[in-house]
Amino acid sequence: MRIAFLVKNFADGDDLSEYVKSLAEYVVEKGHDPLVVSFDDGSDCTVSEEVEIERFQLHFDGDSLYTWAMMMNNEMKGRVMEKMENEEIDLIHANDWTTAPGGVTLSKHLEKPLFLTIHSTENMRGFQGQNSGLISEMEWQGCFEADQVFANNEDVKNSLLFDLDMPDEKACVADPLHEGWQEKVLNCYREILDKRIEVEV
Amino acid sequence: MKPLFFTWEYPPYKAGGIAAHCEDLATTLADQGHEPVVITYGEEEEIEVRDGVEIHRVPSSNSADNTLSWAMHLGHQMEKKAIELSKNRSFDLIHAHDWMAVPGATGVKKTLGIPMVFTVHSTQKGRDGINSEYQETIHNLEWYGTYEAEEIITVGREFSEEVKHNYDVPEEKVNYIPNGVDLEKFDNHTNNLNYSDYAMDWEQIVLFVGRMYPQKGPGHLIEAMPEILEEKPQAKFVMCGSGATEHYKGIAKEVAGDKVHFPGYVSDQELLSLMKSAEMTVAPSVYEPFGIVPLEAAACQTATVGSYTGGMKDTIVHEYTGLHTYPGDHNSIKNQVTRALEDPGWTDWMGDNARERVEDNFRWEQITAWTTGIYQNALDS
Repeated sequence: MRIAFLVKNFADGDDLSEYVKSLAEYVVEKGHDPLVVSFDDGSDCTVSEEVEIERFQLHFDGDSLYTWAMMMNNEMKGRVMEKMENEEIDLIHANDWTTAPGGVTLSKHLEKPLFLTIHSTENMRGFQGQNSGLISEMEWQGCFEADQVFANNEDVKNSLLFDLDMPDEKACVADPLHEGWQEKVLNCYREILDKRIEVEV
Repeated sequence: MKPLFFTWEYPPYKAGGIAAHCEDLATTLADQGHEPVVITYGEEEEIEVRDGVEIHRVPSSNSADNTLSWAMHLGHQMEKKAIELSKNRSFDLIHAHDWMAVPGATGVKKTLGIPMVFTVHSTQKGRDGINSEYQETIHNLEWYGTYEAEEIITVGREFSEEVKHNYDVPEEKVNYIPNGVDLEKFDNHTNNLNYSDYAMDWEQIVLFVGRMYPQKGPGHLIEAMPEILEEKPQAKFVMCGSGATEHYKGIAKEVAGDKVHFPGYVSDQELLSLMKSAEMTVAPSVYEPFGIVPLEAAACQTATVGSYTGGMKDTIVHEYTGLHTYPGDHNSIKNQVTRALEDPGWTDWMGDNARERVEDNFRWEQITAWTTGIYQNALDS
């Protein structure tokens, strides 16, 4: 499987990055082919050589994380599409609302399944920051469009079900603090891809 | 050609000149055998085919903190609609109108791999400056649009230089194409104005049309009113437009009393009647990349007294189709309005010339042909 991981940035010690790194290295071990696409914030990120990394610059400074992320996603779409010129991608795995717009657009355009990991929701964070309403809407939209949503723990899952009205069958808890979470994610990939193949047949 | 238009406003929704520009351009493109599709804002999702143009509306969010984040969200919705439509048709290029269309349009360009044409209608720097992080971000978006676009269109000759300078754009990427007017719309309109709703029989209407913001300069005209009235008591000022109306109304009533009238909302038809009946229009803008009012007035055979700035340097020929004033100078406005009121025969002659000039230089058929030439350049690049 060729898996495109979308993540805001890719840096040692950053929660989201470590999650993606761990998952990407696991799928390599299992014989798959991950591509990590992220904004290049200049940080170091030590990862297995077999994980392909595509980092890009962004010539845009936003007045908030929201405006920055929306434009960053455009660049991300461009990078994935450039990769698609030479090779197929089987699925897209976005992380949090910051890459949900790119995940949604690419999934619709390429007609490939979208997986989304929600590490925490705006409801859990308390709607404190700028554009929190739009961020929450983007979480909702990402969950609505995704084929499968991974929650990092039961609390996140509950927030997805009760705050974002997501159907139970779409949610899967894959807790990075518990052993075997990567296998769970990989199995979900397989399940959704198999379902798609069945539908196509 | 199959261009995809991204614009946040398209009639009947309109706040400024972009809506009318997009409608006229798209309609003329369709008349010329092209297949334009418009994606724009709407309160709810809907589709309409009007004058050969397919119009798709998508809603934005009510949760946005400001216009900038609202536009970002709208851009994502517009982009999703474009992706959906691209499943059963192909688009040759995306044509973005102003900064609010940049987020969505660049997303479509990068996802569908089609060229982008960007029309800059005005700049943040010119509108109200870059004095905050918010304004800086809008400026950055404008820059980003010019950076990503294969071809840039500006609506004013002088404005082209401003765009090149502000965004460091290579000379060969910037194209000047003026706005146009749909003369048929003006010719098919019947003037049903009830003159007494606005002025006495013996009064001459001096008409202001535009948003009531400092950029459009209503304050400078108001400042000139007492002196104009002193010399020409037959003047009656009619101030049409939305924005900070109450603010300007308060000031104008103090200096001109009953000799100034703010009619509030005026329909398009009524506005055309007013333009046809007015002695002149006044466009006292301090910043105006193009300025459609002098052209619309010209289509009504009405002369314009307008600031010597931006596009009005081209759309008004001094003492031939109207009169120029120094921007932001109420004495200059007073002098030229008084001159025009002094000799109504001369003012009518300038109105006739203005109409003739519009027929020769600002027809949408011609502007659309130039635009498709730019489209071809974008495709070739």
